[in-house]
Amino acid sequence: MSALPDDVRAIFERFELDLPEDPPDLLVEEGPLVPRDKLLGLARALKLEAHCLFFVYCAAAHYPPGPASRIPGMGEGELPDGTLVAYRVRRLAGGRPVDVPFRVWVPTGETTPSLVPVWVGADWQEREQYDLVGTVFEGHPDLRRIMLPEDWEGHPLRKDYAIDTPHFPWR
Amino acid sequence: MPLPVPRPFQRPARGATRHVEVGGVRVPYELVVDPWPDPYLDLDAYDPDADLMPINWGPQHPSTHGVLRVKLFMDGEVCVKAVPYLGYLHRGVEKLCEKLSYAQVTPIVDKNDYVSPMMNELAINMAFEKLLGVEPPPRAQVIRTIFAEMQRVASHLLWLGTWAMDAGGALGGGATLFMYCFREREMILDLFEEVTGARFHYNTHTVGGNRHDLPGGWEEKAIRVLDHIESRLPEYEDFLRDNDIFLVRTRGVGRLDPLLAMEIGVSGPSLRASGVDHDRRRDAPYAAYDRVEVKVPVRDAGDALARYEVRMDEMRESIRIARELLQDVPAGPITALKPVKMPKAIKVATGRSAYVGIESPRGELGTFVIAQNERKTAHLPYRLKIRPPSFHAMALLPYLAPGATLSDIVVIAGSLDPILGEVDR
Repeated sequence: MSALPDDVRAIFERFELDLPEDPPDLLVEEGPLVPRDKLLGLARALKLEAHCLFFVYCAAAHYPPGPASRIPGMGEGELPDGTLVAYRVRRLAGGRPVDVPFRVWVPTGETTPSLVPVWVGADWQEREQYDLVGTVFEGHPDLRRIMLPEDWEGHPLRKDYAIDTPHFPWR
Repeated sequence: MPLPVPRPFQRPARGATRHVEVGGVRVPYELVVDPWPDPYLDLDAYDPDADLMPINWGPQHPSTHGVLRVKLFMDGEVCVKAVPYLGYLHRGVEKLCEKLSYAQVTPIVDKNDYVSPMMNELAINMAFEKLLGVEPPPRAQVIRTIFAEMQRVASHLLWLGTWAMDAGGALGGGATLFMYCFREREMILDLFEEVTGARFHYNTHTVGGNRHDLPGGWEEKAIRVLDHIESRLPEYEDFLRDNDIFLVRTRGVGRLDPLLAMEIGVSGPSLRASGVDHDRRRDAPYAAYDRVEVKVPVRDAGDALARYEVRMDEMRESIRIARELLQDVPAGPITALKPVKMPKAIKVATGRSAYVGIESPRGELGTFVIAQNERKTAHLPYRLKIRPPSFHAMALLPYLAPGATLSDIVVIAGSLDPILGEVDR
């Protein structure tokens, strides 16, 4: 396990993010939780200053209402229904590549800024997460379903969507 | 619309490839395109009077390498805008895996990238091992690496045969090259069958190691097969590399901007053909790749021909790595955990997540998995996300297709080596 590079840590600290120390590998493996209003600024800084040009993935996970301790680094208390969006970008410059992960909490009914203006590769990734999990990305140029038909009801990867939900005429 | 990255401003002398540093990455200057084609082009604003012809390429056309539909808007012979429609093979693998225990997921993901199933198994089990904190024994690591490299040769052989057919029926004498490639690939599948009992969907990797040990004498047999395939490779190059039709069809076709490739997340041979030297096997060694030296072939041209050259070199490199490992497979157990009798025996209840990216024949095949945080359902993954390299390669089509003719688009899409089973999942 390697530590976070100093310049990336400096960027995180400049955006006044809460950098978790316990467990020790949480920051390197899962990254800090970013408030939604700081997300675009952080993404720009990571791309232009830390040279994280490679967009690895964006993955959302649905969490029904419940304790916040289900999500590492989230703290204590109760969380409403929402999704956790995990991003990972990579710096290829200078020897061994460095992965920089970060996460965003999005309550259901609210939106999170799209990262397409920063990395064009976020386009299909965010469309996929919108389609399957239902996270709405604000500012996405073309946010429509990608895997499922346009008229599909619901988002299958949500926890309240049963695996055998019927959907005429497909199943 | 995309953020400006610092661009070079001086054109180099003709003929010479000059490299520039963009964002700290050394890329070929000639490939840097500014601006990129607009994938959200408003067709009315493009030219209200133009007589654009929409063509639905696919979903059943063989040159799409699966069931992909791309709506192409053609201005005469040249494409103006391409809109891919995915999902014809969507099976809901990620949802399905949330209802399967860690030990049961492997045979399901076998079917994602159906040309290199070994890679799917390896990627998913490595992510589970990271979540559990299990380290497979050295013998399992070496066997996994041998399987991965042989699978890479088999996958590239299939790609070579089908893509040469795409590029023109006359290349390689109709279907001759296709048949030759399949003949050699069959030898590798036979070897896998001897170990696992299955020709294709092996289900041989488990959490913590492998399920099947190598039978006696398998190593020598595998080395003989690899030697044979290596001796055949120049033959295939003679079919293509000296063929004027092939060179005209591929040289300068589908030139890929390395910055665009990085931002979209394209990896593997397609990225390395654009001059970006990045390979997970060398840069973040997993399994037994730290035991061998991995030489990474890189090309600067960025076109379909360069992608072909990178894959041909990779095949030779894979054969070399596999042979080197086959000569000295360490003895010992092949699994770190006890053989799984009850699928529910493997439990994680930390709520933590893990990401592992491996170098599959098509690029970085990643698995992002979040563990449960309740003891009751600790044997099921909470959320599983597969990062398929082909999905990212297909996201390139709206950028590479504009400006190309329909016949070139077939070559471009084929040179990216998409497998629709993992695009749609």
